[in-house]
Amino acid sequence: MTSYVEGSPVKALIVDDSAVETMVLTAMLRKFHCEITTAKNGKEAVQMFLEGKKFDIIFREKDMPVMSGPEAIEKIRALGEIHVKIVGVSVGDNAQEAFMRVGADEFLPKPMKLDVVGAIIQEIIKKKKKNNDTVQA
Amino acid sequence: MEYANLRRQAASLKRSLFDQGYLDEQFCQVEDLQDEASPNFAEEVVSLFFKDSARLVSNIEQAMEKYPGDFNRWDAHMQQLKGSCFSIGASKMNNECTLFRNSCGEENAEGCRRSFQKVKREHAILRQKLESYFQLLRQAGPARTATRSGGK
Repeated sequence: MTSYVEGSPVKALIVDDSAVETMVLTAMLRKFHCEITTAKNGKEAVQMFLEGKKFDIIFREKDMPVMSGPEAIEKIRALGEIHVKIVGVSVGDNAQEAFMRVGADEFLPKPMKLDVVGAIIQEIIKKKKKNNDTVQA
Repeated sequence: MEYANLRRQAASLKRSLFDQGYLDEQFCQVEDLQDEASPNFAEEVVSLFFKDSARLVSNIEQAMEKYPGDFNRWDAHMQQLKGSCFSIGASKMNNECTLFRNSCGEENAEGCRRSFQKVKREHAILRQKLESYFQLLRQAGPARTATRSGGK
């Protein structure tokens, strides 16, 4: 199932206050050779962007202390980060609407499945490869 | 021979955990994440789950004592526990968490108290069963591949 494309790895940011859920998602993303950073809440995530860090994809839980997922997404998009793929994740009801309203690209209900996560990562790998090929042409 | 017997016992215990509804497919997802780099991943996640869930259960208990009738607060705490249950496939615990949250939605304090007792009970049972499961796996040692067909 895993595939690997030469070039820079997919940079993934996991924003979740649950250590268990972060551990499981980290293991899934490692199967696809992602470079993984974690944050415990939306405020930490926003701070990373303010510090100039770049990511290809963010997995963001909805309900977190200090700053919620949707609130953080609004702030990140407002910083001009329109290209980073943002995936909202939650067990909560009505979470999908809350995420899509503020600019998330996709919503995944928990628990996340490896094949679903894999398909999203493969899509980003293809996009990065295409962008690399375009630059080199 | 002993290895094979222990592996069989572990497989049988795991099957019963699924048959009795303690675990669901997500547990298999967690085990599938094991590889050579992380051969004990499932046990590590489960260990973290029980450490974390004990803390969350304590938080809920304190919230119910300190903030009587604050169903939103109780619900928020239980949602965290439910998320963790989802992640490792703790199905029965997850169901009891849902019932607790339903009682919160109905502002039914007695219903919450009853459900919470069940959450704690299922938590204890699952912990004991998974500890037995991983102990069997540890005793069996790492999986071995057959050197020739039919050989034992």
